[in-house]
Amino acid sequence: MTNSVAELENSACIFVIGSNTTSSHPLVATRIFRAKQKGAKLIVADPRKIQLALMADTYVRQNLGTDVALINGIMHVILDRGWQDQGFIEERTEGFETVKEKVRSYTPEKVSGITGIPEEDIVKIAEDFGTAQTASIVYCMGITQHVTGVDNVKSLANLAMLTGNVGKESTGVNPLRGQNNVQGACDMGGLPNVYPGYQAVNMLDNQKKFESIWGTDLSDQVGRTVSDMLGGLSDGSLKALYVMGENPMLSDPDTAHVEKALKAAELLVVQDIFFTPTAELAHVVLPGSSFAEKDGTFTNTERRVMRVRKAIEPVGDSRPDWQIIQEISNRLGYSMDYDSPEAILKEIAEVTPSYSGITYERLEGEGLQWPCPDEGHPGTKFLHKDAFARGKGLFHAIDFKPPAESVDANYPFWLTTGRIHVHYHTGTMTRNSPTLHSEVPEGSLEINPGDAGQLGIREGDEVEVSSRRGKIRTKTVLTERVKEGLVFMPFHFVESNANALTNPALDPIAKIPELKVCAVRVEKAA
Amino acid sequence: MDYRTALTTCTYCGCGCNFYLEVLDGQIIDTIPCKTSPVNEGKLCVKGWNVHEFVQSPNRLTRPLLRKNGAFEEASWDEALDFTASKLREIKDNCGGNSVGFLSSAKATNEENYLFQKLARAALGTNNIDHCARL
Amino acid sequence: MIDEVKKRVKELLDSGEIKGFLGLRDMHGHVGPHLFHEESDLETMVLGDGKRPGDSRYPLNKQLIHLARCYPDDTMGVLVRGCDERGLKTLATWNQINSGKVISVGIPCPQELARACECLRPYPDDFVGGEKVEGCAHGSVRQVDDMDLAARFDHWMKEFEKCIKCYGCRDICPMCFCKECSLESNELIRTGEIPPEMPVFHLTRAVHMAGRCIDCGLCNEACPADIPLRTLYKKVADIIDEEFHYRPGYVADQKSPLNILSHTGAE
Repeated sequence: MTNSVAELENSACIFVIGSNTTSSHPLVATRIFRAKQKGAKLIVADPRKIQLALMADTYVRQNLGTDVALINGIMHVILDRGWQDQGFIEERTEGFETVKEKVRSYTPEKVSGITGIPEEDIVKIAEDFGTAQTASIVYCMGITQHVTGVDNVKSLANLAMLTGNVGKESTGVNPLRGQNNVQGACDMGGLPNVYPGYQAVNMLDNQKKFESIWGTDLSDQVGRTVSDMLGGLSDGSLKALYVMGENPMLSDPDTAHVEKALKAAELLVVQDIFFTPTAELAHVVLPGSSFAEKDGTFTNTERRVMRVRKAIEPVGDSRPDWQIIQEISNRLGYSMDYDSPEAILKEIAEVTPSYSGITYERLEGEGLQWPCPDEGHPGTKFLHKDAFARGKGLFHAIDFKPPAESVDANYPFWLTTGRIHVHYHTGTMTRNSPTLHSEVPEGSLEINPGDAGQLGIREGDEVEVSSRRGKIRTKTVLTERVKEGLVFMPFHFVESNANALTNPALDPIAKIPELKVCAVRVEKAA
Repeated sequence: MDYRTALTTCTYCGCGCNFYLEVLDGQIIDTIPCKTSPVNEGKLCVKGWNVHEFVQSPNRLTRPLLRKNGAFEEASWDEALDFTASKLREIKDNCGGNSVGFLSSAKATNEENYLFQKLARAALGTNNIDHCARL
Repeated sequence: MIDEVKKRVKELLDSGEIKGFLGLRDMHGHVGPHLFHEESDLETMVLGDGKRPGDSRYPLNKQLIHLARCYPDDTMGVLVRGCDERGLKTLATWNQINSGKVISVGIPCPQELARACECLRPYPDDFVGGEKVEGCAHGSVRQVDDMDLAARFDHWMKEFEKCIKCYGCRDICPMCFCKECSLESNELIRTGEIPPEMPVFHLTRAVHMAGRCIDCGLCNEACPADIPLRTLYKKVADIIDEEFHYRPGYVADQKSPLNILSHTGAE
């Protein structure tokens, strides 16, 4: 997030797009409720009529994968009515003219045709967002998990810059990070192209710096992403995969393809706290300890680094991941000798400029939000205050592109996937929690009652759902949350694995798969 | 009677709520939200309130497992670690560090993520390290 | 006041009258529950007043029940405000604690907190220091009562619409001790949906709070949707008071009329 969670409650307008906030980030939803209570305008754009839609001033359900068109349409109206922040555009940005030119053709009429959103709603959104004193954008995987994921994010950045809603309090472009420490995993260099602190691996200065600190030669070649690794296993160019606390058998698109890839590995090491479907395919399974059994830090969605403290001893013979990694590294002949997570954080602070001022002692209390470049620095509540990282904010002129696959006579329904409020990602933890499991014990397919009627399906019926990649069985829930032609499935459940159906087509830049759009057929199970 | 509380951070979503795990005689008996947390101010979602349940699930992995003749068998730590390291070394020696991939975890701590990418980069000499940020 | 509390706790620990004292401590920059065993521990003791009076209150009675279930023979000390003391008395009538095994150390609430809580009796019967302040009337209830029926219904439905079904109102409640909870019954309330079925989810809980709620307000503070639950339960408590002349915990040993009616006690 460019801004902090608490700032949302003082925003005059909040635009939630592609985030089912009350289910997936409930404590962010708290701030949205409060903003609404204080009189903020709430705009919700989501193909499903999610809980936040119930209290929105404007709720629109765009057709799947049409976000760029919607955002261009909103910008068209803002420019048409002169609601843009000309001062901000001139002082802080460049490339504005190209966007202005680009969105000229995105009239409400045209955009309505693409998105299925009434013209007057597009105008209303533009007015609420464009005329607000402070406006915040909140988004999640509904924006990013598309072949146009990068385009979608850039479009939202365009909208924020156009209206001067970045670099000040209670504004910003705010992606909600899905995993508790996905922010930290990125910050720590758990990415193929960057060292900790987003220092590019293919820049000689960075390579030299890390070679000197780590005392060994390093590669200047950008590594493989998850999907490239799976591809590599399939074609034999990758021999081994070491998976720590991930479950690609459920989280990745096109499960049949994932399974084939993992089975091709000469060595598959899985380190986890539960015996996941991915662990079932491993050659060796190493039992890690959960967050309750170790010390450390997590970095939340607002870049706040906070302490994790040990509550109990490791369960059974399990060991904290940091100890296991050290054991492996030492056996490989690369010595690691940290006596505690705190000792590791000291090294992190040494090599990561944005974490330089962070120590365990300073994390007592409310934690610290990075960038925190030195021990006197109080941390950073919101980013881009006086300048962007690159200096001026760059507008990107972007055209709408349709999703990678479309419905046809064989696969007539659009399928989108997501989370539900009691479960989490691949269900490894939540399905092992009796309370959560009993609230929602199994997966389901949400379908509009009109469509269900056409197919002779009643509430609770078993159905077969098939896509161009796979077929699964699940039970149905009849609901107006989805409009006719659209169905929804949560992806937590291995018995009705939504990702057996989803499309592995990738965004060309971010390499994120289009998990939010594919075409399926729904049939009553025999 | 050994009752203690541990102030920590939630392991589910990216909100990063703070709570106390209440421990009685070595068992977590409850979770209670931290009133003064800047994130959650004494509130939690249903997952947070029940976060202690999975930790002590009887389904937790408690011993290393090695596949022998197609089936998993319990192994000692030394055996499992030796096997893993020797196979990794063999593959590195025969096919190069770039023939190994590492999937790090958005569930693990910063410290563990740091060590894991260091393992990939420094011990194996590859930048083949990623995690589920996109999923 | 903190010094008087520490002194009293030290006496109780030194004399061996209690095995431990459930109170609050300031650790890692936050206030949380703690079981005090030793004098040296007492340095970190606080009363739960952070930025605002009473903003770091915890359901210590709930933790007390946990401990008492595992160690029924041990006598424990516990920090109580007026509401907590009402809780202890009521829990005893529901056979959830043995009064003989609990020694409370009371503190009165400051006026600001009493006002914020609209607490009718912001002090326990006995307290070790400080002055008691006047009780405050249920103004928030009157505000809602003044709405006409349709507006009132609308008001509550709009509030319930925000519910994310965290069950936090129940989970933090020191008076919710049932092993099976109606809120989780699929026959009564369809599980798995948010918002939960309106208004049955919240009204079910409100009904179960009748004759039990001690008006501590922890539910309200724990609600991620800021639903004014306390107002709802105050209303229920007012009705029980009007009909049965009963407020939980105001008179020792007085049982809830609903306890007597149902005669099953705690299920």
